[in-house]
Amino acid sequence: MARLTLENVCVDFPIYGSGSKSLRHALAAAATGGRIGRAARVPVVEALRDITLRLKDGDRVGVTGHNGAGKSTLLKTLAGVYVPSRGRYLRQGTVSSLIDPMLGIEPDGTGYENIALRGLLMGLSRSDTARLTPDIAEFSGLGEYLDMPVRTYSTGMAMRLGFSIATAVPTDILLMDEWLAVGDAEFQGIAEDRLRSVVSKAGILVLASHSPTLIERECNDVIELSHGEVKAVRGVPAAIVTVADAIPVT
Amino acid sequence: MIPSATASAAPQSIRATLSVADVVTAGDHSAATALRTGLADWWSGTKNVELWLTLAWYEIVLRYRRSMLGPLWLTISMGLMLLGMGPLYATLFNVPQNKFFPHLTLGIIFWTFYSTSIIDGCNTFILSARYLKSAEFPLSIFVWRNLARNLIQSAHHFVLFFPVAWLCGVPVTPRLAFLIPGMVVALINLHAITITLGILCARFRDIGQIVASVLQLLMFLTPVFWFPESLPNRAHFILYNPLAQLIDILRLPLLGAAPASGTWWFLLYFTILNVVVAGGLYAFKRRQLIYWL
Repeated sequence: MARLTLENVCVDFPIYGSGSKSLRHALAAAATGGRIGRAARVPVVEALRDITLRLKDGDRVGVTGHNGAGKSTLLKTLAGVYVPSRGRYLRQGTVSSLIDPMLGIEPDGTGYENIALRGLLMGLSRSDTARLTPDIAEFSGLGEYLDMPVRTYSTGMAMRLGFSIATAVPTDILLMDEWLAVGDAEFQGIAEDRLRSVVSKAGILVLASHSPTLIERECNDVIELSHGEVKAVRGVPAAIVTVADAIPVT
Repeated sequence: MIPSATASAAPQSIRATLSVADVVTAGDHSAATALRTGLADWWSGTKNVELWLTLAWYEIVLRYRRSMLGPLWLTISMGLMLLGMGPLYATLFNVPQNKFFPHLTLGIIFWTFYSTSIIDGCNTFILSARYLKSAEFPLSIFVWRNLARNLIQSAHHFVLFFPVAWLCGVPVTPRLAFLIPGMVVALINLHAITITLGILCARFRDIGQIVASVLQLLMFLTPVFWFPESLPNRAHFILYNPLAQLIDILRLPLLGAAPASGTWWFLLYFTILNVVVAGGLYAFKRRQLIYWL
């Protein structure tokens, strides 16, 4: 049973410029007892403000909003990357983020080596990865290229590899920044099927996207972010009726 | 070959398990909780030996993939340096070659081990930013990766000691056993220093530069090339640098001598200090680190 809860969560990014990040300023601030406090204070960007979400099994949440509205920050906060500066974060279940499908891909390693490496990074044991490798290899359709270094791949081929590994195992909570579109027309078709099967096995899906049609198709709740705050929450009428309890506290 | 979508049917028993703990709460800032979760985080990374060892191994293998001799270059370049310096400095310092050469060999090998571990340690989290920004990884994974990579490199240097020891007739004595506690102390300290400097350097980018210049200076103040015995009495204080002591606990056992008890006491306090500082930073600053990368 997967659960993902944010309660009144705020995320602030300190912006360290060339000056304020330096040791000199920190030492000066300490030595002067904070009298130059204003110069030493680090400017902060409020990326998320007072977000409350309660997600559980079966929830398919779409996140929309303009550039810089906080979509990616919200996903990373849900993944446990950013610790809220205020508020509470609770997670139950394994989380897998397809935020960066190329994570851990070493250009000088062969396709097979990269499968092994990425498998370990996803928290699989070596033997689990070995068991999955034939599947991944077949699905990627890269054939003999898997024995070659990834640096010799085209961009599309490298993406196919990353995608095939990243979607090889189901997870309780799936976080995606944009629906992954990879490869040529033929591969896109089967990639779609695969992605849908991973999504259907996940307890919770959070998908950030700019495409209203995609969100309408995949999600049953929509959160609209604006300047780091929840502007609107609505259920998608066309979607199957499940619990829709994303509550904005503003 | 046309791949089929059914290939995605992974066995249900295999699931991605990236999360550090099943229930994670943030926002509780009590010191006890921070220490407890910090320790849990450290341990969950530490026990994932497969991951950090593989990451370290690939770093070395992939770096040398396209060269013919591969990591053997590590051994060759170190060997050339020793061959060049050995005869020259033995003459300059007027010490018999078979006494000087093993001393110099181990001095340079262990100095390189410590100093590159420390310098790499400064960047360990900065260079892992891509990992840390896309999922929740225990920090200790990247500390161990750094240490494992440097140990593998150092092992490539260390093989040079065998011919040197044989040629110079270095005795094998029971004191060799001191190498074991020596290595434990060395690893604990390097681990702690990597945590401390890795976190501090992410926040203050100047510290990496400071560390590099201090180490450069320390190389000459540490008995890497010269013998501590040649110091006049009033200059003995310069041996109170942790690196001199850390080199001693590895070098002396291999040369058939026992490190002085003063060395062990000094390093005991140094280790405690190091672990306390690193533990504190790990527990209280670990979650903020991501905002500094």
